[in-house]
Amino acid sequence: MSRYYYYLILINMIANIISAVPTILLHYGSDGAVSGLLIGIMLGLAIVICFTKFFNAFPGKTFPEMLVETTAKWFYYPLLFFMAVLWFIAGVSTLITYTFMLIRYLTPDIPIMIIGLTLFVPIIFGCFMKTDRVLYAIEIVFLINFPLIIFIIIKAYTSKDLNWDFIKKSMLYIVQMPNINVVTSCIFLFLGVVNLVVFNRFFTHKQHFGLKQVVVISFIAVSTIFTTYFIPIGFHGLKSIDELIYPWVATSDSMRMRYFLIERLVYVFLLLYLAMAFLSILIHWHVAVELFKFIFKLEKLKLKGINVGNILLVALFAVCSLYLIVTLTEYQLFQYSIYLFNISSIIFFAKIMLFVYIARRLKGAGDQADNN
Amino acid sequence: MQAIKRIITKFLILMTVSLMLLSGCGEFKDIDKMVFVSMIGIDQTNDSKKPYKIILKLYVPTSSFRQSSTPQYSYLIKEGETLAEIISILESHTDKELDFGHSKMIVIGEEMLKNEKNKEILDFLIRRPDIQMISYVGMGRPNAEEILKFVPKGETALQPTLFNYFDNDGAESSYIITSFLFDFRRRLKAEDISPILPIIEIDKPTSHFIVDKSIVLEEDKPPYELDSQKTMLVKMLSGDAKNIFFSVNRENEHFVARLDNIKVNYNLKKGENNNLSLNVKIKLVGIITESKKNLSNKELPRYSKLLEEEMKEEVEQLIHELKNEGYDPIGFGLRYNAYTLPKNRMDSKEWMEAYKNAELKVTAKSSLKSTGSVQ
Repeated sequence: MSRYYYYLILINMIANIISAVPTILLHYGSDGAVSGLLIGIMLGLAIVICFTKFFNAFPGKTFPEMLVETTAKWFYYPLLFFMAVLWFIAGVSTLITYTFMLIRYLTPDIPIMIIGLTLFVPIIFGCFMKTDRVLYAIEIVFLINFPLIIFIIIKAYTSKDLNWDFIKKSMLYIVQMPNINVVTSCIFLFLGVVNLVVFNRFFTHKQHFGLKQVVVISFIAVSTIFTTYFIPIGFHGLKSIDELIYPWVATSDSMRMRYFLIERLVYVFLLLYLAMAFLSILIHWHVAVELFKFIFKLEKLKLKGINVGNILLVALFAVCSLYLIVTLTEYQLFQYSIYLFNISSIIFFAKIMLFVYIARRLKGAGDQADNN
Repeated sequence: MQAIKRIITKFLILMTVSLMLLSGCGEFKDIDKMVFVSMIGIDQTNDSKKPYKIILKLYVPTSSFRQSSTPQYSYLIKEGETLAEIISILESHTDKELDFGHSKMIVIGEEMLKNEKNKEILDFLIRRPDIQMISYVGMGRPNAEEILKFVPKGETALQPTLFNYFDNDGAESSYIITSFLFDFRRRLKAEDISPILPIIEIDKPTSHFIVDKSIVLEEDKPPYELDSQKTMLVKMLSGDAKNIFFSVNRENEHFVARLDNIKVNYNLKKGENNNLSLNVKIKLVGIITESKKNLSNKELPRYSKLLEEEMKEEVEQLIHELKNEGYDPIGFGLRYNAYTLPKNRMDSKEWMEAYKNAELKVTAKSSLKSTGSVQ
């Protein structure tokens, strides 16, 4: 597979360390989180494999184009609209979480509107780039930050303050019934592959997707999820870890760099995850923007040669996200994130059925064309 | 093309001019408007309406190291009902903004610890995002205020001396327990491991700090003090000690060994009727650094044997004492739970009972490599 494909999956997994995912996982720490994670990993891998196989079979085609060819209008417009809204919300949830985190830890004196806006402006400009440029931007930012992520993870595992007894103790909760919220938020970690609905435009050549690729992805997934869930437990104990609103910020604050310029790792962590949050929102919103463009034919809305449609969309995004940033509380964010994860995992499972249907129609059409 | 270029030029000029209108960072406080807290002290008062007393040790800024080579601090002290309230009042006692981001030490007074208000203190310390989770926590004797106000001889303006005791960078003593704030929290919250804090004392005549004892806390129980030998053994059993000096006095031999390779392993097994058996295995490698008598290289195995016996005796005594009193700073309960399925785990009462009656077996293996430079 092309390396850009891995970026899509990897960024969604890594960036979710700062979203509500670890909070949800740790909230159910003694209520079936570990078994839930195991099931989530299996189901998530199934989604990754199905989505990749499907989009790989039709190189260069986006999902809306396929739907136009195979299904009726009354079906695909609502479907795409719903998906676009869902993906917009996924981006917003990361944006809100990160804004909250910034105001809590890095810049407590700056008004929350301004923080939200400074994050919003570069992201929204990025979203309107062409798909291939978005991918190039992702690659540059990701390659700069990846070594630092590895550094933090190595730092965490080699710290002598990481108590493995806590980890082992929490691991033994594997015998419990899996918790459904944990399963769905674990599946959400894998949903980076869903971005192929638009990003498939870039992958114009058919690529090899075999056992080796699956093994690589499962290795990445298992190690990221293990780190996301167990490292905070090793540093803070299982009991009352759900009291920590941002478990990973607290965890990175518990590591120290004795001989570095700054001793507190938390500032490195926050700046690093600024980049990761940027990438994650950029990917989600690029998909959302492209889908909205397709549904409302925004490119045709022109007033005196100026593209009004795009401006309208930016304004809509800005108003919605800033409104949510100002009004939501942390508890609401947590609750709504659970709903988002539940809905999105159900939707994307249902979509696999749709894929079977579309694939048959498209193949049939292809065969007919060959016969003629 | 020309038109576009002109537009871009105009736009850029406009942007540059608009920069003039910016007033700087209105929300950001300059460094001369901030004062940095170096230590936080929390004490108990006699007044029941205002139970807390907070002492903040503040760095007084100097323009250069040469100008004032002796350290200067100022102190803010206030009593009150809640910690956050006190801090907000203290902010009006200084002309600058208080910055807790560089505070590296939290000293809790002895009286405060005895009154079991640790959860309230902890809640305040964790809830404030600017207080580092990697701050050191210690108990001040006789109270936090004296520890904070004490500036030992030889302290430079670079850094308070007290930090050096704990960061394993200057002093690397096996008598000093280092407890970070996050570690204090996780031990306090977990039922199966007890919090342990170093005791900071002042040695008045020679004017320096002494940190060689520790105190173990447990819910609904008075704190339990460990003397320096026990502190060292607890640190060794927790696997934190890098090297220890251990004195052996038996069978007419009296020598001190420096053990610099220590491996400790312990496990717990549950038999019938909640009968616990606790096995501790200690492996020691080291050399002899002092002896009252002449030693012989040939007899190193015998010295090792003596060391083993002595170590076994002392460790057994320590663990017996800890389990009879019901304190668990090493985390035997945690280790037991780490290998027991959730449904088989004991609740805290059953555990306390089982822990008290646990059968203890200590095995020590040591190999002394040399008698030092002389025989």
